[in-house]
Amino acid sequence: MSAFDRTFPPPSGPIRDFDFPEVDRRRLSNGLDLRVARVARLPVVSVRLFMRSGESALDVDRSGLCVLTANALDGGTRKRSGTELAESLERIGARFGANGGWEGTSASLYCLADRLAEALPLLAEAVTEPGFPEEEVARAKEQHLAGLRQRKMDPGSAAHDAALSRYFADGIPYARSDHGTEQSIGGMTADHLHGYADANYRPEDGGLIVIGDVDAAEVAELAERCFSGWTGSPASVADFEVVPAARERRVLVVHRPGSVQSEVRVGHVGTDRLTPDYFALSVANMVLGGMFTSRLNLNLRERNGFTYGVRSRFGFRSRPGPFEVATAVGNEVTPAAVREILNEVEGIASRGPTEEEVASARDFAAGIFGLQLETVGQIASRASQLVIFGLADDYYHEYRRRMREVTTEDAADAARRHMRPHEAQVVVVGDADVVGPPLEELGLGPFEVSREVRGGQPET
Amino acid sequence: MSLRIPIERHRLDNGLKVVLSPDRTVPVVAVNLWYGVGSRNEAPGKTGFAHLFEHMMFQGSAHVPKNRHFELIEKAGGTLNATTWFDRTNYFDTVPSHELDLALWLEADRMGWMLPAMSQEKLDNQRDVVKNEKRQRYDNQPYGDWAERLQKLMYPQDHPYHHTVIGSMEDIDAATLEDVEQFFKTYYIPNNAVLTVAGDFDSKDALEAVDRYFGEIASGAPIPSIPGRLDLEPKLGKTARDHVISEVPLPRLIMAFRTPPFSADDFSVSEVCQALLGMGRAARLHRRLVRERRIAKGVVSFQFPLLTGASMLLTWATGYPDTDLEALESALAEEIEGLRGAEQAEVDRAIALAETDFVHALENVASRADQLSMFELFFDDPGRVNTMLDRLRAVTVDQIRAFAGEHFGPDNRAVLAYEPAAEGDQ
Repeated sequence: MSAFDRTFPPPSGPIRDFDFPEVDRRRLSNGLDLRVARVARLPVVSVRLFMRSGESALDVDRSGLCVLTANALDGGTRKRSGTELAESLERIGARFGANGGWEGTSASLYCLADRLAEALPLLAEAVTEPGFPEEEVARAKEQHLAGLRQRKMDPGSAAHDAALSRYFADGIPYARSDHGTEQSIGGMTADHLHGYADANYRPEDGGLIVIGDVDAAEVAELAERCFSGWTGSPASVADFEVVPAARERRVLVVHRPGSVQSEVRVGHVGTDRLTPDYFALSVANMVLGGMFTSRLNLNLRERNGFTYGVRSRFGFRSRPGPFEVATAVGNEVTPAAVREILNEVEGIASRGPTEEEVASARDFAAGIFGLQLETVGQIASRASQLVIFGLADDYYHEYRRRMREVTTEDAADAARRHMRPHEAQVVVVGDADVVGPPLEELGLGPFEVSREVRGGQPET
Repeated sequence: MSLRIPIERHRLDNGLKVVLSPDRTVPVVAVNLWYGVGSRNEAPGKTGFAHLFEHMMFQGSAHVPKNRHFELIEKAGGTLNATTWFDRTNYFDTVPSHELDLALWLEADRMGWMLPAMSQEKLDNQRDVVKNEKRQRYDNQPYGDWAERLQKLMYPQDHPYHHTVIGSMEDIDAATLEDVEQFFKTYYIPNNAVLTVAGDFDSKDALEAVDRYFGEIASGAPIPSIPGRLDLEPKLGKTARDHVISEVPLPRLIMAFRTPPFSADDFSVSEVCQALLGMGRAARLHRRLVRERRIAKGVVSFQFPLLTGASMLLTWATGYPDTDLEALESALAEEIEGLRGAEQAEVDRAIALAETDFVHALENVASRADQLSMFELFFDDPGRVNTMLDRLRAVTVDQIRAFAGEHFGPDNRAVLAYEPAAEGDQ
């Protein structure tokens, strides 16, 4: 055994770089954008079908319809009941799911590669020929409404939802949760779901992503068969400008009696996914609250013990989503924690990160990128992002280079322009009788307490 | 479908068990350590300590100042974490493969030289962090005390699974630096640990590196026996009940059963039963309670695979605002007892899904390493990773029917009911 010095970290070995897999891109006869990558590590395949028909395109009366419709897809097709659909999929070991969200609807499939020829037709059938039988729709709707009730009483979800309406102006879709409201969901029927799917589950402007132990030409042929006769483009198109709810800092406490902790959100309108600042801002955010050794986490957790953890993030969407710091802190330290959060945002926005911090953050981001391409599902998720946001085909081939090129000045400049502590909205879900008065004393701005009626609407 | 992942076993002179599983397909490597200590080893008055100690393991060691472990791994483009459970504590780093030595060096430093870095300030800081973890994950959550209540129903007062991993605030408050030292010397010894390296490396180089970093750590005495009375009746002997009225959004009925220990031959039968109940949307609970009867908003089934005395199979059904808890209980019981009439077709579906999930779990080296460590520590046989599916496939419908008859009756049940407090009761 050779002598070595234990007191210093060992040197790195030789780097083995690796690239995002090559994606075969072709257009099916119905216009569907097909992207296939052969990743043959293990005999599995991951599929995403993205359709651009999202919550962003719905007005408040119909909010949640995209999400509900996607959830109800497991209720069966014109050819088979919900149970028959589930049995057909599970008999061949296929996992199927569908989710609606801001940008659109995504149906997904994961199975052994040699089952794809049987599984893909089932995904196609579920999406292009949904049955929406009355009783299954009623069930999906009841589940959805019960879920809304759970969100209200879960302190983290309650804080998230309350914060959105403080960041975005009334009437902007992003001001609400993408789950809709009791009113909007309560009024929906099977006809609404049929109407929505019929008008919006369309191939144009979407994409089909297939990653795994497959052959691109064979997949193309299979997809052509599965989706023949399915045509058109989504009818609902998002059309709004993001407007912030306020330009001044304000504080809202949502009363949750008996809380032993405060859920804290501090944020404002951020920026969109296609911003030229994406890489610089991602680095700045990692320094602020995007990794374990971020300023926020080292301060609030490792120095002060206020919390189990704190994170900051930009919700990058096709339009500017929220920028938000999120944490849960002890009652007695709630004002101190809010003060420290604002100090840290102020610090990075006005003085920027240090050279060393930027180096760590971009090394982290560039390195972690490789770790996150291990599974076919992870690769499929990345490839979906290309479709959803119209990113260039070589985007992920360039990703690490562009991340590594971010300079300290770039990160400081991005932080200065996109993090605005004086416009930050502070939202605390906790026991207002305990944490309200000391929070108000901080004098951060207009102060409001919302005393929620359980299961009902907040009264302010 | 049969997949075999490569496995090499070694043992250092100090007793550290080493499992290597090379796979050069992607330049990622996982370093994973399982220590044979968990909440079951905690003495009365020290509940939650194994977990608090896990936090202290991240507070630095002789050659690694506070925060440096995180800084070095994150700068390397890696991830790290740890978890504490009843029977073990695991630590894991996943890094680009050219940083394997860094992860080994860090893990070795805290296995060998943790104590010089400990201080009262660090303990007080992590005590606060852990108390906030307890508040965030349990005390401030609807249904957050379910595990605590269920364990009390399922395991007697003097059994090590009677208390939760997170422990009590009082015991967390009472922890001292002396406890940290004692715990470290007793349990964090190479002969009470398994180190697995999975992913992109050369076996010979990796083994040399492991020996370089871990080889000189002194082994310790055999670990003390687990406190409390360990033997359990295979069945609870009754239906144990707890009815809670609290600030929860929806009624929820949790029903659990004592099942054979993880090491028992018929544990695999229990696993298939659990899959028949809750794996997938064609499975019994979802099909009947959620889809057909619409009495539940959602259903869940899972196992606590445990070593000491008995495991626990859990199911729960979350109702709608107007669901009657008694009706929910009989509906749930009916489906579970219905396994006495299990059919081959549902077993085939469960096995098909299990095959897919098995390959999925092998897709990332971190989960591969975690399973290898588990099977090595618990069964001296990491090769069980490769025979896991065969054991499930070998389970017959007759075995399932008999198992259901034996284990799922009212003489072996814990029932925990959550009833939403009336409106305006706040």
